[in-house]
Order: sequence, then structure tokens, then C-alpha cells
Amino acid sequence: MDVIYFIVQQTMFFAIPLLLVAIGGMYAERSGVINIALEGIMVMGAFTGVLFISEMGDSMSGQGLLILAILISGATGMVFSLLHAFASINMKADQTISGTALNLFAPAFVIFAARMINGVQQIPFIDSFRIDSVPVLGSIPVIGDMFFKNTYITTYIGLGLYVLAAFVIAKTSFGLRLRACGEHPGAADSVGVSVKKIRYAGVIISGFLGGVGGLVFVVPTSTNFNATVAGYGFLALAVMIFGQWRSGRILGAAFFFGVMKTMASAYTSVPVLKDLGLPNDVYKMIPYIATLIVLIFTSKSSQAPRAEGIPFDRTAR
Amino acid sequence: MKKKKVLTMLLAATMVFGLAACGGNKSNDAKKDGGDDAKKSDSYELALVTDIGSIDDKSFNQGAWEGVDQYATEKDIPHQYYKPVEQSDEAYKDAIALAVKGGAKTIVCPGYLFEVPVHEMQTQYPDVNFIIIDGAPHGAEDGAPIEIEKNTLSIFYAEQQAGYLAGYAAVKDGYKKLGFMGGIAVPAVKRYGYGFVQGAEDAAAELGLKDGEITLRYTYLNTFNATPEVNTLASSWYKDGTELIFAAAGGAGNSVMKAAETAGAKVVGVDVDQSAESDTVISSAMKNLKKSVYDAITSIYDGNFQGGESITLDASKEGVELPMDSSKWENFTKDDYTAVYEKLAAGSIEIPTDSTTEDASGLTTAKVALSVE
Repeated sequence: MDVIYFIVQQTMFFAIPLLLVAIGGMYAERSGVINIALEGIMVMGAFTGVLFISEMGDSMSGQGLLILAILISGATGMVFSLLHAFASINMKADQTISGTALNLFAPAFVIFAARMINGVQQIPFIDSFRIDSVPVLGSIPVIGDMFFKNTYITTYIGLGLYVLAAFVIAKTSFGLRLRACGEHPGAADSVGVSVKKIRYAGVIISGFLGGVGGLVFVVPTSTNFNATVAGYGFLALAVMIFGQWRSGRILGAAFFFGVMKTMASAYTSVPVLKDLGLPNDVYKMIPYIATLIVLIFTSKSSQAPRAEGIPFDRTAR
Repeated sequence: MKKKKVLTMLLAATMVFGLAACGGNKSNDAKKDGGDDAKKSDSYELALVTDIGSIDDKSFNQGAWEGVDQYATEKDIPHQYYKPVEQSDEAYKDAIALAVKGGAKTIVCPGYLFEVPVHEMQTQYPDVNFIIIDGAPHGAEDGAPIEIEKNTLSIFYAEQQAGYLAGYAAVKDGYKKLGFMGGIAVPAVKRYGYGFVQGAEDAAAELGLKDGEITLRYTYLNTFNATPEVNTLASSWYKDGTELIFAAAGGAGNSVMKAAETAGAKVVGVDVDQSAESDTVISSAMKNLKKSVYDAITSIYDGNFQGGESITLDASKEGVELPMDSSKWENFTKDDYTAVYEKLAAGSIEIPTDSTTEDASGLTTAKVALSVE
């Protein structure tokens, strides 16, 4: 059983940031704007969040500090994503290029800014956030061991944000308008929906979730932030596509990746996998091979938003 | 329209801020680089070209740059570092050429990736001195012989001795379940790992432990970055009983430290004293980059440059060490350290290296049950 608890606990560290960022990507794309800047947004969000933790670490600690840092990361992501929104909505620029530009800009800016502030590019932080066992809930047999031990508050905030985001896009009128702008902006416009405003909203929400995702990625897995999120922004894009731009499937996809990646890294602790005796490179390939296989069966029915990537031109309606 | 105006203003403000920030940086750099002389003459006599990573990577580049900086500041010599635009022989050569154009008389090149670029540049610029660290110049083709011109000094470190000290200290201190995580299986990382295994083996023999009483898990991570994968792998090792992991893996070491914090276990750092990075860092297998670069530059200015040679800095030249002042060993004392260090310095300890052993599974141990993963 210990092994299962361990796998579940570790899976969260992979799955939650992927989930948040992929849902963020979904918001942008369902509104009709391709957002490959997620990697850059994560880097920016992680940067300001970790910097805040690092600077305030002397006077504050614990969950309050982490929650404030999450808000700061989210706000940073929103501001940063505005650049993408401006380029792709107002200027009608090529969205892939605009996103790439932000991805290139973010790590460079972060290194530069960190050097200006700290003299070095790494930003160390003290982790006073890990929860050994959640009070009461942690003592529930089985479930407590899986979900409420050796965890971070970010796991629950991440899941909470996910539920909220999934609800808003599916059940509210705003969600309906957002989806309409991604499928047929002309139709949405004809009934008085401002495509521009909705798309701005979509991109800004993706910026918020991307920024938070960046911080959530760094805090449980390192002792400093070194201007990189190791390609997890792009992996989140893959999760979004794998999840067919639908929140339910994205949840499944994020946890699928999370479990696979955990197994691939911790295979020596899993008796069944260890007994296979394969070279460790093979284990590392498993998540990607599994993804390819699943994609072969699902890609035929791709449900990408029809108008994504196409700047809205009112006159062409 | 109004919105557009606001946005335009925002954009303008961003640009102004950006420019101001750039301006600030310039003056800072100038200050760091020896003050007004450097600015006026616009010629930097001492130069360093960075490898992948930056001058604050807490490893090669930083250690080497600190050596350059120390000498240059003491002697008031204008100095500067150059960063290649990408990781390729061409980009490295361009950066070296740029340094020469910038007035460099001595160029420090940290990292084995400079082997090919320096091989070409040492003949192209015979009047410039090159110091290459962790490498020896050779041609680009496979199996090309090492050729060191009179204007080049190649410096190697005996990483196996630093690793040896770490492994020896860990076992002497009472740890029985050890782990080694190397970043990528490059020569320097391999040497750290082999030394670590050998050190554990010798200490176990001295303590009279039974065969196989020490277990040592050995792997390469294939990355130098902090990722959840590394964190999970290290967590799984700690969970399965590993008490101490020697992380010779640059930034990926930070993910190992995180896992150690969670598990309440220990880490041995690498290259520089990493004790400030996490409370779990019990000691660090260091190589004395700063001192060796400083010494090499001094030798150039004093006229006794060992150009044309390749030197290996080991314990006998104080090239490697454990920082005993910041180490947190409980049973391994300074006297123990001095004793084993003297033996290393005297050369009476044999340690396999990447030139004697191709792969970690080729290491022979008795006391240590080695599992290569």
C-alpha cells in the first residue's frame, strides 16, 4: 500500500501544474486565440511568486505567504498575457509568432531581473509550506494517506480552481459566449457579443492560470527557481490537445501524464515495474509511447475550436 | 479609441522602463569590471567565455569567473566575460574572436565543450593565452589527438578524489545506504561517481564491515535541471531507505535536496560549497575552481606560464576538497579528514577514472553492494 500512497502523492506534483496550465490554455483557445506562450507565462508567474516568497520569507511564513504568492503569480501571468492579447486581438498578429516571442522573452527577462535584484539568476526560497498531514482529514484511513499527507495547499487550490474553471466554461452565459467566439465569432458578434472583449477575457484567464501553474510547479520540486519550468508549459499544451479542449478530458489527461511520469521516475519502488528489469531509458519513454498510442485512437475526432488562431475581422462576416 | 491610448501609453511606459533598466545594468557592469579604466580604454585584457550556463551557475563558470575577477580586481586589470549565442563550436569560436577583438590577452574557457574551438583558436591567435578548464584541445574529428600549443594551458581536476572524500566521509560517519545521482554521464560526472563508490568501499574496509553491508544505488539523471522527475526519483530512493544521496547534477541537485527535505534525509553537494542551498546538504565535493584560475592567471603575469601542458589538479595541489567548516558530519572529524586527505595527496590511493573504466557497472567492489540503475 505504501507504494500506492507514494505514487498518488508524487503524481500530484506533476498533475496539478499541468492541469492548471492546460485549463488556462483551454480558455484562450476556446475563445479563439492560440496561446503557446504558456511556457513563458509559467516562467514569469513562477518568477514573481518565488521572488515574493524569497523576499518576504523573513517576516512571513506558512500558508498565508504561499497564498499571497499564488495571487501575485496569477496577476503577473495576467499582465504578461496582455501582451499576447494585444498582439493577437488588436494587432491581428500571427498568434504563434506572438506566443513564441513571449516564450523567448520570459526566461531572458527573468534572468536579467533576478540578476538586477539578487546578483545571481537563481532565486532561493525557504519552504515552510509542506503539510505533513492535513488535520483530521489526514487520519482517514487510505484516503487520508493518499490525498492528505505529504502535500501542499497548492494541490487543493489547484483542484478548486479547476472545478471553478470547468463550471464557468460549461454552465455560465460567459462560458457560452466564450465558446461561441472560438467556434463562430461572426455569429457571436451578430447577437451583440463583443468578440474582442471575450477574447481578451479568455487570454487573461489563461494568463492567470498559467502564472499560478508556474509557481505550483516550482514550489514542491526544487529549493530555488532557476528561470526554467523545464518545458512543462509545452507539455501542458499537449495535455490540452490530448484532452480535446474539454475540461473533463483535460483532467483525465493531466492525471494520465502525472501517473505515467511518476511511474517512469519511481519505477524502482514499484515491484511490478522493477521486476521487468528494463533499462531506465525505456521507463522514461513510457509516458510518451502511451500518449502516442492513445492519440492514434483519438486524433481522428479532434475537436479543436473551429475559429482558433484566426483573428476576428468584423468586415469579413 | 480611449482604450487604445491607454494601451499605447502602457507600452511606451514599458519601453522607457526597459531602457532605464538597461542603462542601470551598464553602469553596474562597468563598476564590476574594474571601474572607469575599463570604460575609457574599452579594451578588456582578461576575458572569460562562458560555457552553457551563466557566470552565476554555482559551478564551472562562476568559479572560473571568480578567479578572473579576483586577480583582475587586485591588479586593476580591465576584464570582461562573453556569452556565446548558442551551444555550438562556431558560436564558441565567434565569442573567442569577439573577446580577442575586445583586447583580450588571456581568455579563460571553462568546460570540455571548448576543446574543439580552442584547438582552432590557439593557432589562429598565437599571441593570446588560453586557459581551458576540464578539457584539452583537439580537432573536431573523432579520435583526433590532443594538441596543446605553447599559448594554452589545459586544467583538469581529480573529481574522483573529491567524490572519494565524500564517499569515505559518508561511510565513516555511519551512513550505510548511499546513492549517487549524476547529471549526465560526462567525464567529470563519471569521475565524481567512481570516486564516491571507491571512497565508500575503502572506508567500509577500514571499519571492518561485512561484504555488502554498504548499499549504493548509482544512476545518471540525463538532465542538469530541477524537475518533478528528479524529485520523484530521489523521493523514491529515500522512501526505499537510502539515507544519503551524492547529487553531482548541477541544478537537478536542488530537486534532490527538496526530496531530502521531505524525507528528512541527507544530500552531498557538488563543485562548490552548497551548504547554503538547503539544510539537508551535509557536505559538498568541491573542486577549487577559483583558486586554480587565479593561480593560472598569476603565472601568466609572472612569466612562468606552463603553456603547452595539461595539468591535473588533485589533492596534492589542493585542487579538490570537502568544506569541513560548513560540513555537518557527526562522527567524521577534521582529523579523519586530514588523515585521508594526506593519503590522497601522497598518491597512495588508487581510484578508477573514466579512462580506466568505461561504465559504472565495471567497478569492482566487495564491501559495497553496487546497483547501477
